[in-house]
Amino acid sequence: MGLFDNKQIEPGVVTTTVEWLFNWARKSSPWPMTFGLACCAIEMMAAGASRFDLDRFGAGVFRPSPRQSDVMIVAGTVTEKMAPRIKTLYEQMPDPKWVIAMGACAISGGPFYYDTYHVVKGVDLLVPVDVYVPGCPPTPEALIFGILTLQEQITRGKRAQPGGRPTLPEPLVAA
Amino acid sequence: MASAHNPVAGRPCQSPWWRPKGDIMGHYFSDLFGGSASILRSMWVTLRYLFTPAITVQYPDEQRPQPLRALNRHVLRIDDVTGQLKCTACEACARICPTRCIELTGTGKGKNRHPSAFTIDHNLCMYCNLCVEVCPFDAITMWTRIGELSSADRGSLVYDLKALTADRYYPSPMTPEKPSIPEKPPVPEPEKVEVGATAPAA
Repeated sequence: MGLFDNKQIEPGVVTTTVEWLFNWARKSSPWPMTFGLACCAIEMMAAGASRFDLDRFGAGVFRPSPRQSDVMIVAGTVTEKMAPRIKTLYEQMPDPKWVIAMGACAISGGPFYYDTYHVVKGVDLLVPVDVYVPGCPPTPEALIFGILTLQEQITRGKRAQPGGRPTLPEPLVAA
Repeated sequence: MASAHNPVAGRPCQSPWWRPKGDIMGHYFSDLFGGSASILRSMWVTLRYLFTPAITVQYPDEQRPQPLRALNRHVLRIDDVTGQLKCTACEACARICPTRCIELTGTGKGKNRHPSAFTIDHNLCMYCNLCVEVCPFDAITMWTRIGELSSADRGSLVYDLKALTADRYYPSPMTPEKPSIPEKPPVPEPEKVEVGATAPAA
């Protein structure tokens, strides 16, 4: 499958059809990695449990190993101590891989954006993020909606690019 | 270190503390039947749930009833009488916001003061409801049921005035129904107004 990821092959009828088939297969089973860092993990567990049942979207198989997973749902506060582990685990995942930043802390640091020294101001400083799911914490519906958004992106073959980070507003009150 | 269970030490091999002493065969069969009964008991629990309706909420087609005070994306309320935003750009919400995610500018004086720009950054918002509680005009609400906000870039999670303005009536736990609009501007004692003087909701 890595054969079709590099751009040296001219896209033809056969390769695009196979690409569509691979994207369909990837979309139908995005196995997430168990990556609960804070309270967002509770909502991630609720989304995986029987009431919301992520297995309906093929995403209910939470793997404890990065080698077996496709999606990294970063759920919770990313501290400076956890940052190198996140980067290592992301690089250990096999290549068609996606990242969902779940919750305000993982997106931008959230409540810890100003006046803290120990929180990474957004997991997109470490790894390229495909889908941002805001909320504090997001409801299980919001996480499932994020997974549906990710499945649409996988179907279109769109990949996240590192460094697309907008500037956030300046603090209104002097710190 | 020679332990009590070490047969090399010359002592007889003792069974460990969790193994029953004496009547080995009786304990063996009681374990056997107890284990089988335990499996059957748990299978009975599973069997009972097999014939009950499924509790799974089929989410994209079906919405879970949310709690009464569930906090979701902000919406700026519109005054029914004037049709304008209730917000007077007093910046009380922006000042109390712990994550400082609200940014607004206002134009006009007195009762005609309204926000000209109002952005809430949902990358930072921690859904604490403090902006709603501090608002003296009840102009902003979080009881909106707009919970699905995922996007592929962070820029589209910063909502501006156009996205935040209410498109319909948003009920609150205190006023679940849309209040009827009086014909004239509200009189000082609304309790004295008769029912026939008020027009039904538009």
